[in-house]
Amino acid sequence: MTQFVLAVVLGLLFALGTFLVLRKDLVRVVWGLTIMSQTANVYLVTMGGLTGGVPIISGHGGQGTEVTDPLVQALVLTAIVIGFGTTAFALGLSYRVYQTNETIDLTEVRG
Amino acid sequence: MQPTAGIILAVVALPFLGAAAVPLLYRVIGERTAYFAAAVAAACFALIATQFGAEGAISVRWIPALDVSLSLYVDGLALLIGFLASGVGVLIFTYSGGYMHNEPGKPRYYATLLAFMGAMLGIAFAADLIALFVFWELTSVASFILIGHYRDESGQYAARKSMFVTVSGGLFMLIGFLLLHWVALDVASVESAFRLAGEGSMLASADAMQTALREQGLLVPVLLLIGIGAAAKSAQVPLHIWLPDAMEAPTPVSAFLHSATMVKAGVYLVGRMRPLLVTDEWVLLFALLGLVTMTITAMLAVTASDIKELLAYSTASHLGLIVAGYGIASSADAHIGLLGAETGAFHVLNHALFKATLFLVAGIIAHEAGTRAIEELGGLSDDLPLTAGITVVAALGMAGVPPFNGFYSKEFLFDATYELAAHDGGLWWLLPVVAVFGSIFTFLYSIRFLMLFFGEKPEELGHVHEPPWSMRGPPLLLAVGAGIVGLGGITATAGFHLPIEEFVGRIVESSLPAGEEAHFSYHIPTTLSPPVLMSGVTVAVGAVAYPFYDGIRDGLRAVRDLGPLRPNWYYNGATALMDTNEIGPQIHNGLLRTYALWFLGGTSALALAGYVAATVSIPTFSGLTVTIPLGIVLVVAIIGAAAVTGAPSHVAGVLTLSILGFMVAIFYILADAPDLALTQLVIETLVLVIFLLVIDKLPAFYGGSKRWMLVRDGAASLAVGTTVMVTVLLSTARTPGVPSYLDHSLKSFFIERAPPPPEHGSFIIDSGGGHNIVNVILVDFRAFDTLGEISVVAMAALSIVTLIAMQQRGEI
Repeated sequence: MTQFVLAVVLGLLFALGTFLVLRKDLVRVVWGLTIMSQTANVYLVTMGGLTGGVPIISGHGGQGTEVTDPLVQALVLTAIVIGFGTTAFALGLSYRVYQTNETIDLTEVRG
Repeated sequence: MQPTAGIILAVVALPFLGAAAVPLLYRVIGERTAYFAAAVAAACFALIATQFGAEGAISVRWIPALDVSLSLYVDGLALLIGFLASGVGVLIFTYSGGYMHNEPGKPRYYATLLAFMGAMLGIAFAADLIALFVFWELTSVASFILIGHYRDESGQYAARKSMFVTVSGGLFMLIGFLLLHWVALDVASVESAFRLAGEGSMLASADAMQTALREQGLLVPVLLLIGIGAAAKSAQVPLHIWLPDAMEAPTPVSAFLHSATMVKAGVYLVGRMRPLLVTDEWVLLFALLGLVTMTITAMLAVTASDIKELLAYSTASHLGLIVAGYGIASSADAHIGLLGAETGAFHVLNHALFKATLFLVAGIIAHEAGTRAIEELGGLSDDLPLTAGITVVAALGMAGVPPFNGFYSKEFLFDATYELAAHDGGLWWLLPVVAVFGSIFTFLYSIRFLMLFFGEKPEELGHVHEPPWSMRGPPLLLAVGAGIVGLGGITATAGFHLPIEEFVGRIVESSLPAGEEAHFSYHIPTTLSPPVLMSGVTVAVGAVAYPFYDGIRDGLRAVRDLGPLRPNWYYNGATALMDTNEIGPQIHNGLLRTYALWFLGGTSALALAGYVAATVSIPTFSGLTVTIPLGIVLVVAIIGAAAVTGAPSHVAGVLTLSILGFMVAIFYILADAPDLALTQLVIETLVLVIFLLVIDKLPAFYGGSKRWMLVRDGAASLAVGTTVMVTVLLSTARTPGVPSYLDHSLKSFFIERAPPPPEHGSFIIDSGGGHNIVNVILVDFRAFDTLGEISVVAMAALSIVTLIAMQQRGEI
């Protein structure tokens, strides 16, 4: 079933994200975070069931064909934008780390 | 008279608003922020003054749907603490304007001090146990920041210690509050089980509460728990150890937090809870605790070698006196309880007046003479005549010499202990004895402090300059206040009563059982009564012993330095493990990977343990069929992600990362989510641009890792990935249940409600007005999500501006 394949794919993506977060190159850490948040978004959409049509209804009232879960889509839409905010912030922070420490090797910028 | 809701709310809110304005204001007006803060305090003081004589609760509906309201209470005791916090606040801020000149971190200092003042006013006026607790802990946090102001090692130790002691004390108190709440739920006359004061509150039905507490066997636990909270805050033995260390803070902070206000929170709680909990157990606990503290810390004050240390121990000692006063009561004779409450209430006022004065004097000495060591100081009156005059009034008040203010409240204590002993006999006779014994040491160290100004001036001291008026004015005003209270006793003897008596009477009534009235009056004794005799003994023995001060001090020091007798010995022993540099760096090694590993590994372990505990089984799926487009998208996504991991350069990594991003967008199209796909495409493009912009400025660092590290990280990543896989399998196989407030699932709720219903036009309240359900959810049903999302982006933008632009200007 689709769900099973998706579960394996999401697991793999998350593992790759984790692996990147554990690197000492700060840019790679940011990549890892990006992959993780993408994975989480796909996961949420998957939870909606992936059945039914586009959640756009024509006409009045809730009749017509069965549509897919609109709530998860609304949540993910917010999550995508927030993920963008955090990625941008992480990049700004990386730049600042480089300015202050003149390196982005995390083993050298211990707090 | 009923209090005015708006005014009391403004009093609590103003300092916080002021604190929020300080960082910006400091950029404009610089050091004059001190006078802005003083103005805020003065405004609070004026607002509180308009409520003088008011009594009662006000309640502001906060979240009506959940029956949550913010309730505040005004009475004599609340007004006293309010006046102290704002009035002493005005003087402290003014004084800081002179004292903090040339000191670091002023915006933080003023903002924290203002926030502290707000929290203290909150404690004073809170009518609700939860609000009281929140404000209570806020003062601990403010104190932590202010003690650690100079950020040196000893300051950090002191800040940690005070935080540790007062916050954990607060947690004990919280448990006590929760027990009270639990008992109050069963008391019919208590309408709101968290309400402490006002109509339908615990205090309003104190007798019923007390009976219920006793029946459930919770009276003693509640007493002890609240006692621990109060003792930690008010530095009672053996929890007094944080107060002398807290003197690391700038002197105005010591005068404000650690003598006049914050440490009064504990005694305030005792005074406030008194009508509710006063029983024989109460007397035993608090009368003993107070008197023991008063005596031991007075002896410790004699051993002090630093003027602020002397004042710190002395503060603990006087707080002990107040606690002892509030502690004394008798179920048989209401007069004894009245005397006890009078001691506590009057000494809160007197102590704030003379001790804040003395701290400010200590600040002047340290600032102008450049030393705080008692041995190195003497004969300062020639150079600082005004300060010497101020000190005479304050120190003699502290010593309890008539007709200065401290004398009267000490008389009340002597009277209360004597009456209790005379009434109950037996071991209670120890109380007056201990009270006199402790007071002798109080007399000794007070005179020692006073003698800094007299006698011979050490050669090396040189000429000591007078401080600016901003530093002389505040202690002068406080000393005049103390002097007026002292004069009040003389005029009362002559038959003319000052309004202070009326005011103190109101404070006393706050701590008396409901319905009892206090006709408070104090005067110079004209007949020889037992308490007068006790005062006489104190002063006489003190005067005789003073010439042997150095010998007494050395003897006490020898006892003090015996390790196992010192609470600090236990504290340092218990915290040594955490404080040393052995364990900390192991856990906090400063490497991001360590934190990430613990976080991800911990979350995975918890999730898996949860599945095991709930004995869920992985659902079976037959076949691995995927539509061809989806299969292609997923395979490309994984290849993209793998390529990111192995990318040879930053640019290559960013480009492959966007392959993954665009694949996700296509996945959204396939999953019937056109809005997501559009958003993802836009965002992905933006992210790519930003990545390229930033990477251009960063070095082409490419960290090669050792093989064993790759293997280890790979294993950890696989474990995390497996957990994710299991979670996805488990959660997608289930459908959410129907919420109890709906008759169908959330999904069908939105599908039905999103479009405009046929019977209404295109605009209604309980439905949306669009055909794209996702859009309707975002703008109609869950508009706050959208607001939050915009806020996050705004915050990210602001943070980046702060991080980068401010650094380029050299500001942080």
